[in-house]
Amino acid sequence: MKLTAHRSAALTRIVSLVAVVATVGLLPWLSHRDPALTVLRARSAEREPTEEALSAIRADLGLDAGPLALLRGWAADLLHGDLGTSWVSGTDVLPSVVAGLQVSLGLMGAALGIAVALAAVLVAPVLVRGRGSAGAFAAMLAAVPEFLLATVALLVCGVWLGWLPTAGWAGPEYLVLPALALGVPAGGLLGRLVADALPAVLDERWVELWRGAGVRRTAISAAALKRVLPPLVPQFGMVAVGLTGGAVAVEMVFAVPGIGRTALGAAKSQDLPLLQGSVLALLLLGLLTGGVAVAVRHRLLGPALRDAGLTLPPPRPVRAHPAIPLTLAAVLALTIGWGLLRDPYTLNTAARLAAPSWAHPLGTDALGRDVLARLGHGAASTVGTAAAICALSLLLALALGFLPGVAAGAADIANALPPVIVGILVAAATGPGTGGAALAVALISWPALSAHAAALVQEVRASAFLTAQRAMGATPFWILTRHVLPSVAAPVARHALLRLPGIALALASLGFLGLGAQPPTPEWGLLLDESRAYVERAPWAALAPAVALALLAGLAVSGAAAAQGRRRTPKETTVALR
Amino acid sequence: MPSADPLLTVRNLRIAFDGIETIRGLSFDVRPREVLAIVGESGAGKSLTARALLGMVPRGATRSGTIEPDLAAQRGRRISLVPQDALSALSPVHRVGDQLAAAVRSVARVPRREARRRAVAALDRVGIPDAERRARAYPHEYSGGMRQRAVIAMATINEPDIVVADEPTTALDEEHRDQVLRVLAERSEAVGAALVLVTHDMEVVRAHADRVLVMYAGRLTELGPADEVLTRPRAPYTAGLLASLPEHAPRARRLPFLPGTPPAPGTLPPGCAFAPRCPLAAGPCHETEPEPQQVEERTLACHHWPELPHPATELFHE
Amino acid sequence: MSDAALLDVRDLVVRYGDTTAVDHVSFTLAPGETLALNGPSGCGKSSTALAVLQLRRPDSGEVRFEGRELTTLTESELRPVRPRMQPVFQDPYGSLSPRHRIRDAVAEPLRIQGQRPTRTQIAELLDRVGLDPSYGDRRPHELSGGQCQRVGIARALASEPRLLVLDEPVSSLDPSVRAGVLNLLADLQDDLGLGYLFICHDRAVVRHFAHRVIEMRDGRISSG
Repeated sequence: MKLTAHRSAALTRIVSLVAVVATVGLLPWLSHRDPALTVLRARSAEREPTEEALSAIRADLGLDAGPLALLRGWAADLLHGDLGTSWVSGTDVLPSVVAGLQVSLGLMGAALGIAVALAAVLVAPVLVRGRGSAGAFAAMLAAVPEFLLATVALLVCGVWLGWLPTAGWAGPEYLVLPALALGVPAGGLLGRLVADALPAVLDERWVELWRGAGVRRTAISAAALKRVLPPLVPQFGMVAVGLTGGAVAVEMVFAVPGIGRTALGAAKSQDLPLLQGSVLALLLLGLLTGGVAVAVRHRLLGPALRDAGLTLPPPRPVRAHPAIPLTLAAVLALTIGWGLLRDPYTLNTAARLAAPSWAHPLGTDALGRDVLARLGHGAASTVGTAAAICALSLLLALALGFLPGVAAGAADIANALPPVIVGILVAAATGPGTGGAALAVALISWPALSAHAAALVQEVRASAFLTAQRAMGATPFWILTRHVLPSVAAPVARHALLRLPGIALALASLGFLGLGAQPPTPEWGLLLDESRAYVERAPWAALAPAVALALLAGLAVSGAAAAQGRRRTPKETTVALR
Repeated sequence: MPSADPLLTVRNLRIAFDGIETIRGLSFDVRPREVLAIVGESGAGKSLTARALLGMVPRGATRSGTIEPDLAAQRGRRISLVPQDALSALSPVHRVGDQLAAAVRSVARVPRREARRRAVAALDRVGIPDAERRARAYPHEYSGGMRQRAVIAMATINEPDIVVADEPTTALDEEHRDQVLRVLAERSEAVGAALVLVTHDMEVVRAHADRVLVMYAGRLTELGPADEVLTRPRAPYTAGLLASLPEHAPRARRLPFLPGTPPAPGTLPPGCAFAPRCPLAAGPCHETEPEPQQVEERTLACHHWPELPHPATELFHE
Repeated sequence: MSDAALLDVRDLVVRYGDTTAVDHVSFTLAPGETLALNGPSGCGKSSTALAVLQLRRPDSGEVRFEGRELTTLTESELRPVRPRMQPVFQDPYGSLSPRHRIRDAVAEPLRIQGQRPTRTQIAELLDRVGLDPSYGDRRPHELSGGQCQRVGIARALASEPRLLVLDEPVSSLDPSVRAGVLNLLADLQDDLGLGYLFICHDRAVVRHFAHRVIEMRDGRISSG
């Protein structure tokens, strides 16, 4: 039973990977808009787009041969190390990809260093005090999206204080801000993983034995760290993969000529060969990190690897007072409600970039539109789309929860794909837009819910009360509808609700990158992006969506923490007292 | 059994969580080289009492009363712990020998090689075959019984004066149980340590203990020589507990039993905590808590002890 | 003996992968009798219980219950037989759904059979196991372990079984509470003439409670 689940998870993983690579290969065929036009414009602006000229280009690109031939040709070239020629510049793709990759690797390396240092700072108090958790603060840092942090860093350090260069790639000082923006959320995530796991490990029996035998606290702390790291290594790999996604936004904000920016530019200009090359490079980077993580885990554990006891005890939940998420939600709801009553589209060129006033409580943007109104209406579209994605994911999760192997395998792949990369792929195929962004986020948000549902289904199925049901002569339908579904649906629905702010943030990040909603739609990510150009003259225009997004991130974390903290039954506490 | 100066005196120990007392005024001694069993049902506070001896009360608990001397700073050297569920009591990511060596080096300043040598010797002494090689193995490579022995080896490696064992045999079969207790008692005796044995199993008490402390709802009910308390209990609770054991009953269909369940902390009745389940409860039992008093070799806490039959077990056989 | 047997098990074999958990085990059980399976953990006594209940279909052998061979029945043919042989499990909390009230847990076997049990019926069942009917409104986590175990027994009794398969029913209970549950089981047997297959690792309890004892070791009967 366990073995088959294992095997089907592995199968799902391979199938998903092949599907992703094939999607990359088929991009020219998948994108319905005629790329021939793009290429023609780029190559010779003066030529008329006659049908004759266009079909010549189509034949040249191999687009007329049908999807299978296209895929075959692309794969064959790929095996020879030929990534094709850029449709826009006409140069070979491979050198651009390699150059971009070098820059990005440097940036990610620096970011990883910052992340590890930050994680160490977050974990240290837990180790020293023996318990308590830095989890809440770390979770907060981890929830801040890179694009938001990058924009704020640009605003504060670069523009207001003028300490560091904010655009380009000309020396080590150019590395600081991008690496910080990329490294801080990753460090928060790393620190959170370790800090959450440590208190439970320090509650394990062996710590009692060691303490009781007189082993010094420092030695126990070191041992606890050695105990906690190996099972987390695969998740560390995921953090590194997440950096590839974050790099796209950060490289764009700071104009760093890395692989992420290359991919984004290629997607926007429909330069599909370049896009294929850079996305492949990003995927390869992700796979390599995953492989390194597995190797490190083997190295760390050695012969202890086979022990079933190496799974970590469930982390003790970070508890938050329910008042925190309620307050955040109330502030957001009030702002959004107020903004919804106002008009987000009216242009008023006389009042461009106006400071906050009674008429415009949050000021106006570059076209004189009311920022508060745009914020309110933007929430409606962002949160509405996010809610639809949540509901869809929930239904999928409940259906697929009964196929644990598929759910686990899909969850693995989804974890290895940052939303931005999926967003780029979808945008390249469908063109940027709200629908494409929603599809991209939906594609990677259902597997986590399915995995949760699958775990619950397995837990319920293994429970003694279900065996008792069978022994009473209950039909499978009775067991499913009276026991399994009710036990699974409620917690998974809660989980889906808790993911809502995170999904909204992912949508906003795609909007920020120009891969989601298009102007003049008021969308939070887009609002932030639009205001960046005028950040020196009208910081409030950028500040309003930035604060709103930060509140959303806070809501995501504190909501989850409050929900977890509540789920402690009286029975558990009495056991703890013994 | 020498009744020389006690190694450890506990006086009026109280431990509370969030203002709810779980240990409610407990006094007893641990004497040199004795085996003292602490028995009671779930929630009686026996494990917590054991932790308090080592200064390992969970965070968030408030403690009052005295434990003299305070051995918390000398764990390993003077006092050590064999925790509950010894099967999971070794770190899964450290070699067994390294774990024992860590205990040695935390207490004595010896070179790494000497610590390792002592670890191997300790494993050898608890009967682990080919100890030299086994010291380099991880716990998952050990059988259940061997892990249990390794835990005992680690707890006794620094030759403490007191070994506290908290339900060391809960997860074990009867055969393993006896084996492990034998090793534990042997090792404690060999290093000259007193053994404080927390258990709910009266058979364990009968086979191994010199004295027994019976606890109910965080207080002392009866304390005295083990064989006497087990054969001729004086406190009603001890008597009821013993009478309800199938091994003491004749092969009959009905066992004498105590009505109700042991109270949870914070839900105690006024007066004697045992009163709602006691066949003798009357008058003062519902008003004031009985104070422990010395009766010959025993310490007893019961308002009615002078009127009780001796042994009190007769109360429960109609 | 074999004609009057409530349960007749012959050459029962249960395998998990390469290991044989139950290796050619045979025994009979008469109505009103308690037969104990005793042995160390991993000796195959719980696997035997599951195979008797057909919750884990045996790999070979016969299980004859009230004269009817169960191993050849399909799952749907078994369903009407199941209410007459009921299990009681070791973990009193785990064997009750944490979401359901005690009343619903006790009523469920009847509901599964399409009946609509009345409040009085449920109150009688709870009373039968020594619980005040007011417990019907509570949920499992509000009860002590011994009380939950009584609820488990009441639920097993609801469908008027002839055989109870008791898998370590008192192992997680405190001694003073354990005695009460053992007495309850003995009373029920006297009143209703139930047959008990009593799985227990504790020799003293087995010796006190069972009419006959089978010792198991490594999947086989070593004596009894």
